[in-house]
Amino acid sequence: MNRRNVLIGAAALSLLSGAGTADAQYTPTRPIDLVVHSGPGAGPDAFGRAFISAIEQEKLSPVRIQINHKIGGGGATAASYIVEKKGDPNTIGLFTSAWIANPLVQESAKATVKDMTPVVRLVIEPAVFAVKADSPYKSMMDIVDAAKKNPGTIKQSGGSPLARDAIVRHVLMSNTGARWSFISFPTGSERIAALLGGHVDMMIIEPSEAGELIRGGQMRALAQISDRRLSTFPDVPTLREAGFNVPNVPQARGFVAPPDTPREVIAFYEQLFEKVVKSPTWQKYLNDNQFEDAFLKSEATGKFFDEYANLMRGILTGAGIKVVR
Amino acid sequence: METLAGLGYGFGIALQPMNLLWCFTGCVLGTLVGIMPGLGPAATIAMLMPVTFSMDPTGGIIMLAGIYYGAKYGGSTTSILLNIPGEASSVVSCLDGYQMARQGRAGAALGIAAIASFVAGTVGVVLLSLVAPPIARFALSFSSPEYFALMALGLALVVLFAGQSPLKAGLAMLVGLWFTSIGIDLFSAQERFTFGQTSLLNGIDFMIVAIGVFAVAEVLGSLQSRQHTQMLAVPRGLRNLLPSWAELKACRFAFVNGSITGFLIGVLPGAGASISSFIAYAFEKLFSRHPERFGHGAPEGLAAPEAANNADTSGALVPMLTLGLPGGGTTAILLSALVLWGLKPGPMLMQDSPNVFWGLVASMYIGNVMLLLLNLPLVPLFAQALRVPSYILFPAILGISVVGVFGVAQSLFHVGLLAGFGLLGYVMARLGFPGAPLILGFVLGDGMERALRQSLQMSGGELGILVSRPIAAGLLACAMLVLMMPLIGRFNRWRIKGIAENG
Repeated sequence: MNRRNVLIGAAALSLLSGAGTADAQYTPTRPIDLVVHSGPGAGPDAFGRAFISAIEQEKLSPVRIQINHKIGGGGATAASYIVEKKGDPNTIGLFTSAWIANPLVQESAKATVKDMTPVVRLVIEPAVFAVKADSPYKSMMDIVDAAKKNPGTIKQSGGSPLARDAIVRHVLMSNTGARWSFISFPTGSERIAALLGGHVDMMIIEPSEAGELIRGGQMRALAQISDRRLSTFPDVPTLREAGFNVPNVPQARGFVAPPDTPREVIAFYEQLFEKVVKSPTWQKYLNDNQFEDAFLKSEATGKFFDEYANLMRGILTGAGIKVVR
Repeated sequence: METLAGLGYGFGIALQPMNLLWCFTGCVLGTLVGIMPGLGPAATIAMLMPVTFSMDPTGGIIMLAGIYYGAKYGGSTTSILLNIPGEASSVVSCLDGYQMARQGRAGAALGIAAIASFVAGTVGVVLLSLVAPPIARFALSFSSPEYFALMALGLALVVLFAGQSPLKAGLAMLVGLWFTSIGIDLFSAQERFTFGQTSLLNGIDFMIVAIGVFAVAEVLGSLQSRQHTQMLAVPRGLRNLLPSWAELKACRFAFVNGSITGFLIGVLPGAGASISSFIAYAFEKLFSRHPERFGHGAPEGLAAPEAANNADTSGALVPMLTLGLPGGGTTAILLSALVLWGLKPGPMLMQDSPNVFWGLVASMYIGNVMLLLLNLPLVPLFAQALRVPSYILFPAILGISVVGVFGVAQSLFHVGLLAGFGLLGYVMARLGFPGAPLILGFVLGDGMERALRQSLQMSGGELGILVSRPIAAGLLACAMLVLMMPLIGRFNRWRIKGIAENG
């Protein structure tokens, strides 16, 4: 037996042993592809890079993790790509709530998170209701009352009708009976510019963005969309505290793997990511950005997908948007 | 006085040897990125961000911003030489820049582009240091109705791109408007014209349309006329590679027009650099004494858009630095870099971190000088590239186009789209349809439709909102005037003819 055969034999043996024992430890040997659905610099890409840099700073992964941009369709392109990678242990995707909500109305979406293997949920992003600093409205109730008195005069700037800000508006409108208009802008800066220029009355904004504008005397926060008050907004009531008995609409981020990813691969990712989440680097990032640590393992993440999709289906149907699945 | 003190303080920071080095690095990288189609400043800055984490934030932002404005210098190179826009904002530079190259004035065109970039870059940064806070307030007074009126003015300018047949120009523009509506509609979250293709959900990237209709169509057209083995004539002698005094003189108004137009439109968060270059070009043609020369290698037709897309960068930094509102993709990434360094972009940045604000502004004065010195010696070098015989040049253009599009979209489907747009551009050229109105419709259509629907959402369906606000009404009146220009011209000719016959 020459040397080459010995090597092949050894490789075959190790393969066999790997397949034989179900709970064997899996360790990747090739770089991991992290699929994000935005271009460089936009939200998901920035979040993915921050996560990878936490892994690198804490030296937690045996292999390199690299970002792979699959841009388009609010996650649709990335989702189809991940579903095509069936069984590939070296590909994972960074999901956002859009991955769950958008396919509900997109007929041409070929893949949903239900086709994939859930890995973990990482964070929930809170948000705040804000008005311009010189706005006459001092509380959320003021706005709702004004909207009831003169329907259609109050304006909110926001994103797509499937985005969280639009969904929260629907929830509040059906809870209170007030009506106000929603004006879609593609980027956050246009939404904020419309508010600061006095062209709209209110908006829902990320706490880290709002913080500086509030400190600069341009903006005021009325309520926060969160289960409990954020450390940076100790005096601003949550929606429930402000007197609105509405369900919290979470904006979540986490990871999914392709369909049919073996259990031991998922276990590897769960363990790796749990270590990252506990690391001081990541905790600092969460605090800087005011993200809520909402770590869930694979099974619970799958349940979260179902619950969120059901919540969204109800809200979208109530808002008159056609749900296709 | 406060501004001068700030600038002095800023130069103290920007002139430190390390910061000078970062500024230079950024400018070199920016020029390279600008030259390569498909690799944009946004992607480059995102890739380099992790490297800058260990750097001092001031040095970091100086380098990353250098990439941003440096790319505008390089972006015109392939537009002029190969009719391939290097960046989205360099599309308009193809119109007259490439025609100049075809007439053997490639070196002159590259020189004018570099000088226009320098003048506008410097004017832009002077305006940025002098009037940032008030101009940011002006930008906030712009909202959807004003944007609609601005885009309407832009579309009205299509009559200036019309060439012989306004009808054909109008049709080409409508096709552009159709293409831009492909994808998911922001307001209803429904798909439009996607034909069940997930790849079309996000619409079609502007670069694919521009490269197809300009570069690929040009190669196809040139292949048909087999006679010349060398595509472009390159004159010998250094003197013929530089812009002549007469050419520079013809551009002097274009430098000013482009600088101001570019800066003002750049400040608006809802309008991109490609819009400012189109509008500056159109203004230039509108007020020119020789509008017939435009599209046939008029130096001022290159200088105006080149100036506009450089002044635009300083304009776009105004809302970013004073309010924390990025005006486009690249400024959004610069902003996220500031956040990752632990700075807090927003209205307080100027007070909290004057070293970053003034250091960056001062470095831009220095960077623009560096870029001019860097780019001028490259002019003869790049102009020589055209000596390559066409059997090498044509495949090279197609290769660069394909790589560029793949770089933007990272999918073969989009390379197929590029081929489609190339064929469309070729057929249009054969049938006498101009390509520029299609591109103009494509660039403006999306934002214009959005602004209209936003305005109507604001007013509850009342069209009156478009004319009851002074800025919007003024811009719409200008649009009407522009649309009536050809009629006035015709009336004038008819009147002169009448007078001549009577007299």
